[in-house]
Amino acid sequence: MSDLPQDRRPPGLMLDARLHLLDRQILDVDGTPVCTVDDLELHGLDGSDRPDGTQPTVVTSLLSGAVLTTRIFGGRPPPSRWHRIRWTHVSDVGTTLRLGVRSAELDVTWPERWIRDQIIRRIPGGSHDPG
Amino acid sequence: MKKILGVALGILTAIGGFLDIGDLVTNAVVGSRFGLSLAWVVVVGVVGICLFAQMSGKVAAVSGRATFEIIRERLGARAAGANLGASFLINLLTLTAEVGGIALALQLASSVEPRLWIPVAGLAVWLVIWRTRFSIMENVTGLVGLTLIVFAVALFLLGPDWSTLADQALHPRVSAQEGLASYWYYAIALFGAAMTPYEVFFFSSGAVEERWTIKDLSQSRLNVLVGFPFGGVLSVAIAACAAVVFLPKGVEVSSLSQIVLPVALAGGKLALAVVIVGIVAATFGAALETSLSSGYTLAQFMGWSWGKFRRPARAARFHLTMIICLVVAVGVLMTSVNPIAVTEYSVVFSAVALPLTYLPILVVANDPEYMGEHVNGRLTNAFALVYLVIIVVASVAAIPLMIVTGAGS
Repeated sequence: MSDLPQDRRPPGLMLDARLHLLDRQILDVDGTPVCTVDDLELHGLDGSDRPDGTQPTVVTSLLSGAVLTTRIFGGRPPPSRWHRIRWTHVSDVGTTLRLGVRSAELDVTWPERWIRDQIIRRIPGGSHDPG
Repeated sequence: MKKILGVALGILTAIGGFLDIGDLVTNAVVGSRFGLSLAWVVVVGVVGICLFAQMSGKVAAVSGRATFEIIRERLGARAAGANLGASFLINLLTLTAEVGGIALALQLASSVEPRLWIPVAGLAVWLVIWRTRFSIMENVTGLVGLTLIVFAVALFLLGPDWSTLADQALHPRVSAQEGLASYWYYAIALFGAAMTPYEVFFFSSGAVEERWTIKDLSQSRLNVLVGFPFGGVLSVAIAACAAVVFLPKGVEVSSLSQIVLPVALAGGKLALAVVIVGIVAATFGAALETSLSSGYTLAQFMGWSWGKFRRPARAARFHLTMIICLVVAVGVLMTSVNPIAVTEYSVVFSAVALPLTYLPILVVANDPEYMGEHVNGRLTNAFALVYLVIIVVASVAAIPLMIVTGAGS
């Protein structure tokens, strides 16, 4: 359990990372679903990337994608395979997490864009509103 | 006036949309083997689906969140992932049964082999999902599905001995040749058919699709509380038709042609045509709902963009999921598996999976963080707890009973 950056925390509101962050839906600035918080990246304030619990830590990124499988089945994917949403993009924490950026600008939504461009757009009618 | 029309439309759609291939097959089979002695299960199932459909609609309207997002948030990745695996597979099984039902109904109308109809049915379901607006899709299949009222009409035309039927329904007895295990096995199947989990996924996601607010809740409550019980009456009428025609002769229903035979006997060719239209509409509507539910559950678990209110390019993975599920369903059916048998298994496995869906909904409906002042009242919670016990008992007993009875045979 980590402390969150002070300036992101309204007075009196305590966030439990497991309860209020993990597995929450992330919406972008337009309200479009981006992904779910599959895991969190924590950093110690002294700069260590694997804090052992003795030093103060902060949430630096929300993670999604392949980390879901390792969270369910255990293990840890190499950091090069992580898809991060930087915590600085988060604008609001409620029953969902709101971002201040568009989902199209995020790396984490590349599968959505790939399937859209390679498959769905190529089927007639895919780019039109349903009649 | 417009408001009254809107209310009437909602109720009629709920009646027509209540029945699917699971209800049709299970009620007819039960009617032919047990008469109306299991009619009480339909009553229990209808009250249950009213309670939980209304609750999931309320959660969706108040919080703007659909069921599977909430299941993931509440249960965490691992438990929700297991839940997704089970719910998704059972939903796929139900989708397969519904597409098979469309093909069987079209076979009755045309005498063309069902395997020629199966790809056509799958393609038609996909086209409607791809191109039709949500409200049109719902209203058309619901209203055309109303023609299944012909089962109730046929029951009157058959001129049954009403006192015998009433006696079967009010004093349930298990006949000597059936045995207690089969009786309870079919009770669970009937319960699973009435309360199928996909209806809750669909109902809550549909509420988000149609952007319900708290103001729409009274309308939805009316639709559910009036529409579903009438749908239950149609279920009992199907069982009663089978009980009148098949029970005295000791014939067990095992095909769609037998399910519609009482209607044909009572009303002739015209009634037969009407009932076939009704079955196509009911199975088609349910095929749409189950395909959408497969997309809803996976997309909501993964946090993808979903919904028919977005154009397909804006919810690419959601639409791809539905395409894959339809291809799998068509592929399974093309192996000549009997859709009626698939249906019978799908309703029992639905009963097994019921607690996975209904417990998280009940938990969230009581969570002020999502619901604010609209958390469940005490009466609703009391009912819901009683149903939770029934649901868990049915779920636990389903598989052992299936093994003991050899799947009811």
